[in-house]
Amino acid sequence: MSDLRTMMAKEFAELRGNRRFLWVFLVAVMAMGVLPTLTFANHHGHFGALGTILLVLYVLFATVAVGANTAPDLVLHERVGHTLDYLLTTRLSARVIFGAKVATAFIVGYVAAMLAIGVQLVAAAILGGHGFQWLYLAVPGGRIIAFGMTADVSLYVAVIGTFVALRVGEQRAAYMVTLLSVGLLTVPFIAGWLRLSLTTAWIGHAAMWLGAMAVVLGVIGSRIFRRDMLVLYLQE
Amino acid sequence: MDGNAIECQGVERRFGTRVAVDQLDLTVPRGSVFGFLGPNGAGKTTTVRMLVGMLRPSAGTIRVFGHDPLSEGEWVRRHSAVMLDNVGLYERLSAWQNLLFAARVAQLTASEGQRRIEEALRRVDLWDRRFDRVSGFSKGMRQKLGLARALLADPELLILDEPTAGLDPSNIVMVRELLVSLAEESERSIFLCTHLLAEAQRICDRVAIIQRGRLLAVGDPNRLGGQGLATVRLTLTGMHPDTAARIALAAHVELSRAEGHDWRAAVSEHDDIEHLVAALVNAGVGVRAVVPEQVSLEDEYMRLVGGEEHV
Repeated sequence: MSDLRTMMAKEFAELRGNRRFLWVFLVAVMAMGVLPTLTFANHHGHFGALGTILLVLYVLFATVAVGANTAPDLVLHERVGHTLDYLLTTRLSARVIFGAKVATAFIVGYVAAMLAIGVQLVAAAILGGHGFQWLYLAVPGGRIIAFGMTADVSLYVAVIGTFVALRVGEQRAAYMVTLLSVGLLTVPFIAGWLRLSLTTAWIGHAAMWLGAMAVVLGVIGSRIFRRDMLVLYLQE
Repeated sequence: MDGNAIECQGVERRFGTRVAVDQLDLTVPRGSVFGFLGPNGAGKTTTVRMLVGMLRPSAGTIRVFGHDPLSEGEWVRRHSAVMLDNVGLYERLSAWQNLLFAARVAQLTASEGQRRIEEALRRVDLWDRRFDRVSGFSKGMRQKLGLARALLADPELLILDEPTAGLDPSNIVMVRELLVSLAEESERSIFLCTHLLAEAQRICDRVAIIQRGRLLAVGDPNRLGGQGLATVRLTLTGMHPDTAARIALAAHVELSRAEGHDWRAAVSEHDDIEHLVAALVNAGVGVRAVVPEQVSLEDEYMRLVGGEEHV
């Protein structure tokens, strides 16, 4: 655990010094916080369940936007700067290196979503939105999506983004592939294999399955992530 | 402790059809400074990566202090430090933060880590720039910081890949003196990959020359020339060209006139000099002086590597 803490402290120190990351983070949080409030400001609370879901989706967007940027960047800047080579010469295990990157991207994505919720509430209060922004927090399904499914998506994006960055050597390409992987989650619904429902029970089950899938992907990633594989990526 | 710091037996590494390291046999005694010489793309960095378990050899065995870098990678990396040709510093962090991370990775206590960081930064003359971001550092400063990072945990084995690359002459002297002092310290073993042959000849106990993944020569840098062709300058009286040709044939040497009474003989082994002198005396030639000419490491390197380039 101390190695993981050491690696994560380094990752956060680097993020603090990364102006591009800070801008993406700030813009994503502000946009996903203010935009939904502005979008629904004229409805004065008359927009039903679908509107509620749309509002909470902005929180997920914040996670995806920040996570899909952060996870690949944490790997790619180490590849470009040859610090990944340095890391591999240290006693740190490959699992710690991989885990720290996933955990950092997960935390950053989740914090971005929580801040976006905070901004939504502040914006609602300022605009006098009659408390409709609380709708999704007032119902169990909304809370599951806001706090639970956001965590699932953040972890999913962190794992996929880290993996993709190990394979794809370019930031924009890694970002796009990570976004595409999020889009893949909608395929079972579009194809009609799964039916979307807005009941609390269905949302709860969906959150559990998505969380389990993200965890399994993370475990698989940490198992197949080997030092010698990474060096080969560097030499390509 | 006795034994070898590094042992490689029949080590190979292939990337697809390309052979980066081919049948490498190498022994680096504990406590020695070993120079690993070769041109770009010779296989030096690939060898370094295999030594610390970053790369899996396609064939052969590697032992570092008797441990397998793959199955006992953590042990090997805990007892060694590597400075690669691309130093790999965190640009967004300061020099201090870079070393602080390295100290934590090395599991030094906070107070011990800070003491060693200060010592290392002062040693490479970067103490005054400790809070500056690395992104503003020159190539030379990065090299020095990389060296400081490698020294931080006081490793038993220090692997340095081109530590003087990009340094100006005064910094090269600084690094060379640092390496000499490191080499004199206790039981530390140093594996030094370098292009600078004069440095290797001065610092290293043993050197190996590698080209296209194949080991061409290993030995004492001051005697390595003796493994190949050496030159002897002879001052002779009563020597005629016909006699020279006959003697050259009999003694298996190349003999050519330099100027006046001076002749030059190219011999492949030191024993050949004795045979040559005996043949000359038997032929009635007066031998006034026999002066072996020093073959520098650079001469030998150019002969081996240059020769390979033409193959």
